[in-house]
This record gives sequence, structure tokens and C-alpha cells, in this order.
Amino acid sequence: MAGRRAALKAVDWAAFSERVPPNQRAMFNALKTRSDALTARLAALPEKPPAIDWAYYKANVAKAGMVDEFQKKFSALKIPEPVDTESAKIDAQEKEAAKSSAEYIQASKARIAQYEQQLQKFKNMIPFEQMTYEDLHEAFPETKLDKEKYPYWPHKPIAEL
Amino acid sequence: VLHTTRQLHTTQQSLAPVPPLPEKGGEVRHGLIPEEFFQFLYPKTGVTGPYMLGTGLILYLLSKEIYVVNHETVAAASILSVIIYGVKKFGPDVAAFADKLNEDKIAHATAVKNEAIESLQKAIEEEKKEQWRVEGRTYLFDAKRNNITMLLETNYRERLMMVYNEVKKRLDYQVALQNLRRQKEQDHMIDWVEKNVVKSITPQQQKESIAKCILDLKALSKGAHTAV
Repeated sequence: MAGRRAALKAVDWAAFSERVPPNQRAMFNALKTRSDALTARLAALPEKPPAIDWAYYKANVAKAGMVDEFQKKFSALKIPEPVDTESAKIDAQEKEAAKSSAEYIQASKARIAQYEQQLQKFKNMIPFEQMTYEDLHEAFPETKLDKEKYPYWPHKPIAEL
Repeated sequence: VLHTTRQLHTTQQSLAPVPPLPEKGGEVRHGLIPEEFFQFLYPKTGVTGPYMLGTGLILYLLSKEIYVVNHETVAAASILSVIIYGVKKFGPDVAAFADKLNEDKIAHATAVKNEAIESLQKAIEEEKKEQWRVEGRTYLFDAKRNNITMLLETNYRERLMMVYNEVKKRLDYQVALQNLRRQKEQDHMIDWVEKNVVKSITPQQQKESIAKCILDLKALSKGAHTAV
């Protein structure tokens, strides 16, 4: 019976629920309902079936030896445990998830570094009262007037005035 | 406020950002003469010095007719008075308006900058939150594994129950079959015994039993008559 009692790990649904992003809520709810249904089904079944009262049957069944035969065969019967085909897949999925999440975290850290850099640039800017137009174009490149593309004043399409 | 000298490109290094212009220009008396002139003459001639100098100069120019009073003097006087009146009356308003224009531009730019800063900070927070979320993926796999275990266990138990039920059904069937047989045999036997008994009642016996019955009845009726 060694393979049978893979113990159920307690899943903290509350903490799990916190970590689910809003766009995956539906999937999470589906998973939860499925888990709950399975738990209910499991709880409804008894662990062992009730024992058969062989003495009663032996007393009552006239056919000789039938009950004995049944009893012998019944106790000799070994019910095969269902084969676990999916755990390997789950483990593979988990490894993949670990890899992809490591990648995602890397990318996320890179993004954070970028944002930090831009934030520093903004924080270190000189106050506007002391800027010349050149300084402004350095700090905000989009304010620079393109004198090659629009050689005549106002150096930008009239619609953007 | 006296005009302090601004350091600009005095050394090889350029001073950046350029230090801001002073808020107000150098102090001026009567709109024309800078304060430094009065300060310059103060040690020698005191407070009234420059005024005496000014008055003397003007009288000299007039009396020697170096400056000739003609129609243009009158024109100059009226024009200047109108100008000075206009500036004194409307100056501050115009200045405030111009300042406001500038301030609006700066406020707009600062708003843009603050918005950018805020959005960056929010983006950083969001990223951190997403990282925290990613850490929770173990829960998902635990739940999945649990589901699998539960399914297997349920299946196994169902199989046990099925075996038990089947065996029990068969044994019960045998018992029920026996009971039924017994029942049928009993009934049949009872019927057969009854039939035989009825058959064995011969006609002679029938007549005798009927006569006996009639006698009994007569006796009974006599008894009943007397009772009533």
C-alpha cells in the first residue's frame, strides 16, 4: 500500500487567491470548484467497504462449498491501484513554469532598472526656471523643433500648434 | 539691492546650469539714475550731494541756453507726463499678466514632469507586485497534485466498493433463491395435502357427515327455540 497514501498537501486557498492576477480569476475559480467537487466526492466514499458476514451466509446458503469458494476468492482478490499517469506531466509543467517565471522575473528586473534610471533623470533635472531652451530639449527630446523636416516657422505641422 | 556681479565664463570651466538672473534689476532713483551714483557721492557730499549737482547742472544748461526752451520742450513735457502716468497706473497689471503667462508655461511643464515621475513609480510598484505574484506558482502545482491524488484515491475506493457490492449481490441472490424455493415447495405441499384430503372424502363418508350435520343443526335449533 505504499504508493497509495500520497498525502494531500494542505493548500492555502486564501493566500493562493491573493496572488492570482485579475485576468486569471476565471481559471482560478474553475480550479477551485473542481478541487472542491473532488474533495466532496472523496469524503463521501468510505475508506474501506464494510466486511461481508461470512458466517451468516455459510449458515443460510444450501449449496455446499459455494460460500467457502467465494470467501477464498474474495480474500485472495487484489484490487489494482489506479496508475498515476499525470504526475510526471505536472512535474514537467512545474519545471517549465519555474524556468519561464525566472525569465519573466529577469525581464521584470530589467524593466525596473530602466524605470529607475528614468526616474533618476527626472529627479535630477534642474528646475524649469533655470532652464534655457537648449536644456529643455535635452531633458525632453520631444520638444525639439525639427528644422530639417520643417525648415519654415513654426517648424512643426500647423495641426500641432 | 545693489547689482552684484555675476560670474560668467571667468574661468575655463563653464558654469552650468547658468545661475538664475536676479529677480529685480539694480535699484534706480527717479527711474533714471542708478543708486550706485548716490552711493558714490555720499562719502564726499552726503545725502543732498547728487541733488545739488543735478539742480546745478540743470540751471547751468537753462541759463546758458545750452538747452533752449522751445515748442519741443512743451511737446516733450506732455508726452513724458502721459507716459509716466500710464506706466504708473497700468504697469503692475501688465507685469502681473506677463508673469502669469510665464508661470502657466512652467506649471504645465512641471505637471508633465510630475505625472511622468508618478507613472514611473507606479510602474515600478506594479512590476514588484507581479514578481510577488509569480512566487505563488507553487500553490497552483500543489493544488493540481492534490487533485490527482484525490482522483486516484476516489477511483480506488470506488473499485473496492464495486467488488464488495457485486459479491454481496451474488450471495444475497443465492439466499433469496433458496428462500423462494422453500416457499414454493411449502405452498405446493400444502395444496397437494389439501387436494388429497378432499379427494379422500368418499361419497359414503359425505352422506354420513351431512346426516350428522343435519342432526346437529336440529339439536341446535331446538336449543335455540327454547332459549328464545
